[in-house]
Amino acid sequence: MNKPTMRIIDSDVHPWVPGDIEGLKPYLSKSWQMRFEGRRATLPDHPLRPPLAGATSIRRDATTPDGGVGGSDPAYVRDVHLEPLGIDYAILSSIQAGKLVSLPNTAEAVTLASAFNDYFRDKWLAFDTRYRLAMCVAVHDPIAAAKEIRRIGAEEGIVAVFMPLTNILMGNCHYFPIYEAAQEMGLPILLHPTGTEGGFQTSVSFAGGVPSTYVERHSCFPQIAMGNLTSLVFEGVFVRFPGLKVLAAEFGFGWLPHVLWRYDQNWRQFRREVPWLEKEPSSYVLDHVRFTSQPLEEPEKDEYLLQILEMIHAERTLLFSTDYPHWDTDYPQTTFQRLPAPMRDRIFYDNAAELFNLQPRT
Amino acid sequence: MERKIGRVDDIPQTDALIVQVEGLPIGVFKRGERFFAVKNLCPHKRAPLALGTVSGTMLPTACAGELKYGLEDQVIRCPWHGWEFDLVSGKCLFGVSDSKIKTYAISVRDGDVYVDI
Repeated sequence: MNKPTMRIIDSDVHPWVPGDIEGLKPYLSKSWQMRFEGRRATLPDHPLRPPLAGATSIRRDATTPDGGVGGSDPAYVRDVHLEPLGIDYAILSSIQAGKLVSLPNTAEAVTLASAFNDYFRDKWLAFDTRYRLAMCVAVHDPIAAAKEIRRIGAEEGIVAVFMPLTNILMGNCHYFPIYEAAQEMGLPILLHPTGTEGGFQTSVSFAGGVPSTYVERHSCFPQIAMGNLTSLVFEGVFVRFPGLKVLAAEFGFGWLPHVLWRYDQNWRQFRREVPWLEKEPSSYVLDHVRFTSQPLEEPEKDEYLLQILEMIHAERTLLFSTDYPHWDTDYPQTTFQRLPAPMRDRIFYDNAAELFNLQPRT
Repeated sequence: MERKIGRVDDIPQTDALIVQVEGLPIGVFKRGERFFAVKNLCPHKRAPLALGTVSGTMLPTACAGELKYGLEDQVIRCPWHGWEFDLVSGKCLFGVSDSKIKTYAISVRDGDVYVDI
């Protein structure tokens, strides 16, 4: 693979903890190690598995040379991903940590969130400064989550707060302590499908009912971003927390123009219900919310995609991502190559550098 | 050009008195000692504006969750899409649109109501 000449920040890379909770035990107290002894050492999978080899989202060709799970070795990810692609920074978020919302026990979720953060700080951030972490929090307990943000959020390698979602919309005051802490620490909130959606009592529900196949649930991921974005905007979260930014990763973006039109149209009609919104709702989205590019939609004509990019002001709002090591990785060499250079630079580097406050590498 | 459109007692307590004045459809509202006259046409999508409600509205607060009611009896809300217009200035409220409703000066003399078209 030819090394590209443009600068790249990959805003969505998924590291893996070998052995699941077993791998976190060095970062747990003895008591908590015993709590997770035996069959409770693994986090549950959604019952609707990908119809892929191994019934997993992780590509087989990402398996490490010693047979480890794809994404489990920071050195291997460096060698096969960062180096050949010339990636300046890779923003890490843990799908395993996302599964914390499948746990009905708050204390377990809170404890594991801290352990995940300590693991990635130790094994990945200390290994290579190109790795940057979206630290995770357990939304079960927003006070504890805020405490965790303040515990490590000031460290250089921490660039965002990964907030796996439970079945409470993001505009709800339940999350306000988390937003307050994130704003205080200058960290954006990162959202990402967790693989628990529609599968557990404590996880996010899909609109209309329970999907019955993986392809259905994967197709419906954008619903989750739509519902939560609507709640964030109309509940006035960006009015209450004017410094807060949110990144919706891997929820797509083709749906965004329609949603923005609908928001603005409805605001014109129902402004009196949400008088704290003093301007069109779409402007709050453009100012406060960002989206990752992967998986890039594939409309029947390329020009449709260009129109969408224009409608969503992609030069401000879109961040390139690969989603390595998952099955639907987008690579820089085959993504957005016909965009004008200024917009391409914004998408591949500048928007992420601004959002995550990343300095140019020398 | 003033035209007499009726008596004060002809105007309902809450709804508009809707009249045709030389071909112009006009709605006349009474709120206490205040009278308003508007063209019965919403600039958004041509709804019969005078069938809308007159009340106050929630003022912009810039504080999420806070409510502040104001402009009592000075706001007309379109019956179709709820767009709100100031009955005094005719302007659409609070940045929703640049469009304006047509308002007319109104006066009362000896119980007779006159609209200046």
